[in-house]
Amino acid sequence: MTLTVDAKLADLTVMVAGQGGDGSLTVINHLSRVLGHRGFQMYTSRDVASRIKGGHAAGVMRASIAQRRNVGDHVDLLVAFDAEAIEKGGPRVSPHGVVIFDGSLGPPPAGYLPDSVEVLSIPFGRLAVRDLRRDLFKNSVAYGVACRVFRLEDDEIEANLREGLSRFPDSIIEANVGALHVGLAYADDAGLIDRTWQLDQQEKSPHLLMTGNEALALGFVAAGGRFYTGYPITPATDVLDFLQRWIEKFGGIALQAEDELASINMALGASMAGVRSMTASSGPGIALMQEAVGQAGAAEIPLVIVDCQRSGPSTGMPTKPEQSDIGMLTTGGNGDFPRVVLVPSDPTDAFEIGVTATNVAQELQGPVYVALDQAVAQNSATVALFDIAAVEVKAGGQIGAAQIDQLNEVRRYLINDSGISSWAPPGTAGGMSLVTGNEHDEWGHVSTEPGNRVRMMDKRARKVDQVLGDLPGALLGGDPDAAIGMLGVGLESGPLLEAAERLSDHGNPVSVLIPRTLWPVPKETLDFINAHDLTYVVEHNSSGQLASVLRSVGAPADRIASLLRYDGLPFTAGDLVERFLAAEAGQ
Amino acid sequence: MTAATFSPARPIFCAGCGHFGVGAALEGAVDALAVPRHELMVVAGIGCSGTVQNNMVAYGYHALHGRVLPTATGFALANPALTVVAAGGDGDGYAIGGGHLLHTFRRNPPLVYIVMNNGTYGLTKGQDSPTALVDSSPAFDAIDLGLAIPGTTFLARGFARLPDQLRDLTRQAIEHSRSGRGFAFIEVLSPCVTYNDTYAEWDSGLHNVDEDPDYNTQDRLAALHMSMTLKSEGLQPVGLIYQAPVREGTVARAEAIGPADADVSLSANREQLVSVMESYRIY
Repeated sequence: MTLTVDAKLADLTVMVAGQGGDGSLTVINHLSRVLGHRGFQMYTSRDVASRIKGGHAAGVMRASIAQRRNVGDHVDLLVAFDAEAIEKGGPRVSPHGVVIFDGSLGPPPAGYLPDSVEVLSIPFGRLAVRDLRRDLFKNSVAYGVACRVFRLEDDEIEANLREGLSRFPDSIIEANVGALHVGLAYADDAGLIDRTWQLDQQEKSPHLLMTGNEALALGFVAAGGRFYTGYPITPATDVLDFLQRWIEKFGGIALQAEDELASINMALGASMAGVRSMTASSGPGIALMQEAVGQAGAAEIPLVIVDCQRSGPSTGMPTKPEQSDIGMLTTGGNGDFPRVVLVPSDPTDAFEIGVTATNVAQELQGPVYVALDQAVAQNSATVALFDIAAVEVKAGGQIGAAQIDQLNEVRRYLINDSGISSWAPPGTAGGMSLVTGNEHDEWGHVSTEPGNRVRMMDKRARKVDQVLGDLPGALLGGDPDAAIGMLGVGLESGPLLEAAERLSDHGNPVSVLIPRTLWPVPKETLDFINAHDLTYVVEHNSSGQLASVLRSVGAPADRIASLLRYDGLPFTAGDLVERFLAAEAGQ
Repeated sequence: MTAATFSPARPIFCAGCGHFGVGAALEGAVDALAVPRHELMVVAGIGCSGTVQNNMVAYGYHALHGRVLPTATGFALANPALTVVAAGGDGDGYAIGGGHLLHTFRRNPPLVYIVMNNGTYGLTKGQDSPTALVDSSPAFDAIDLGLAIPGTTFLARGFARLPDQLRDLTRQAIEHSRSGRGFAFIEVLSPCVTYNDTYAEWDSGLHNVDEDPDYNTQDRLAALHMSMTLKSEGLQPVGLIYQAPVREGTVARAEAIGPADADVSLSANREQLVSVMESYRIY
């Protein structure tokens, strides 16, 4: 009956689960911050139902010395607000794990936990109602008990809670602090303090705790983005929330439109007015926007379109991650037009790609997609401070009155070697133009003349060559000399890098490539595939969309094998190791 | 040196088309107000009416079918220095783009919207539009819709065959938006001589409120009552039907600041960017 662990804990996964509204995600946020203060790298994910309250809701958090962008294979500490939390989360609890269960309504259900697991039954709900008269405060009781397991100091526990609640009125903060002390006292009375874990203490360096959505939105603003439109949709709404909170301070506007059609067309208007613009949505909304993405391509209007991919098709599973829009993003829309698709794997990437996408859209005068998935979009992670001083704000072909004064004529769609024509936003004296998604001549007049048509299509296609040098390169991992490769983007990156370490330790070295540019497919991606006997393309969809894209540009089919998942759950590193070994055994 | 830009195109309209009158009214109103042409943004829809921008000296944009209003809203919010005129047909504005109309009334962005209503899809050769007079399905009335939405600030109807009034309504609409009062909506009865020639019906079927000295343009309820009553008599009102009183805090567009005015250089924003980032710092 002792929980003391001899070794100092350096890698810990905690799950907090209950019904939506119990405050599981709040406890996870408090714990991530307090362990972050201890110098741990944090990664948090959520598993929630698409409803306001109720339904099983779990937050999972990993605290580790090494930077891990995924949760552990096993849960070391489960804080369970109800029986369902034990039923759903129990099987993931490590044999050496600890479960803190809200025993207000009786003992935990039997048969879901390994026998060796220690279960501490503590009536959070009853304590909250008894001492504080509101069930709502039970999450602060639970937070206190969980902190005791980590043997944290009272001062840091309380200070962290106050910091986490700082946007609430004092009365709310004090009530929660009261609840926290109820939890701490109960844990002490129960003798918990004698049997707790010892966390490894880390050197601290400055870190942020952000989601991909937040980091991407900040990157957009840093690169001069000043107009954003969105229509609420999971898991993209956080981008709207972030920008509604911050963009006004930069003189910008973040607007909630009546639908996705309005969103993207408002952004097109603002962009043509010379204001760098972005819209975000998820698969269903991006599907609605396809016509306008083609308009940005044909009429040559800079635009960043963010797709926080969720499980599809149709409405699918709104809160679950998938990467099943890759086909739509790389080939969707009517007609042929140049486009770029970038894909970040974590908040640092998301910030940098937010900057890059905004600049590349400006240079390309066309659509640039940023493809996130629900996990990259919404999971938060600790990241080093962003390198704001390194941000560049590029004008592309946008010119002003002074430059027009130097010109003999202004042809909006001037055909030249680069394909990139200069343009002036309305309001610029002397720069008047006609902009249209109809095929047009150099002046913007509608034209169906066959020779002009071919010259214009070719001109637009040429523009992509001008931005290739600005597109982000891939991240590398694993053993570069291995004969077998693994390739994946977005939420696959964390588990892939960790799985490669483990496989290497067990005599199965693999080399890992995490592309950050999906389209146009960079040469380095094809080189990687050609340099390995076999590359496993790991992706969250049922048809191998990324593998299809790679084959479509010349990756040999016999050098690619797909490792697919589409059940709504992310891979853990352990899952990938198993899937890899099984696939290798079958080759 | 003045750089050469595009030369305006000759209209594609059929001889006798009402849209000629709309183009002339817009030119006349812009000239009357001396709007600098490089500050005039004409956003047009799809269809015959969606070509008016090609015939003018201005910045022109040919929007997607039905998306004139969101696009024009983007222009107007991004740069207050612009005089934004959106124009399109009744199919574009009331059918495929109908959803945006009520939200634009509600949102009241500073721009002018001219709908050329001819009750038909002319460019695709004569299909019924939402304003077509079909026995079983009464025509849609956008002015009545506008009167029913509390955010509406300017509603007018003109007729292509009443050019002086149409020019004057267009001028008032531009003044309304430029003074920061918001969204100015004009429906122009603009017959399609080829597929739905309604000149004769409209010559005899209109009630001109501009000629009524007792008509109060600020009385929304009376306007709705009048419109409904006329409809039951087979008539419809033309003129300035409703204009909301000037709201407190109205700022002329020339005085307003928008995103287009923002200095986006890193040096101008670095401190603010760092401060936002710092608010996500945990240690």
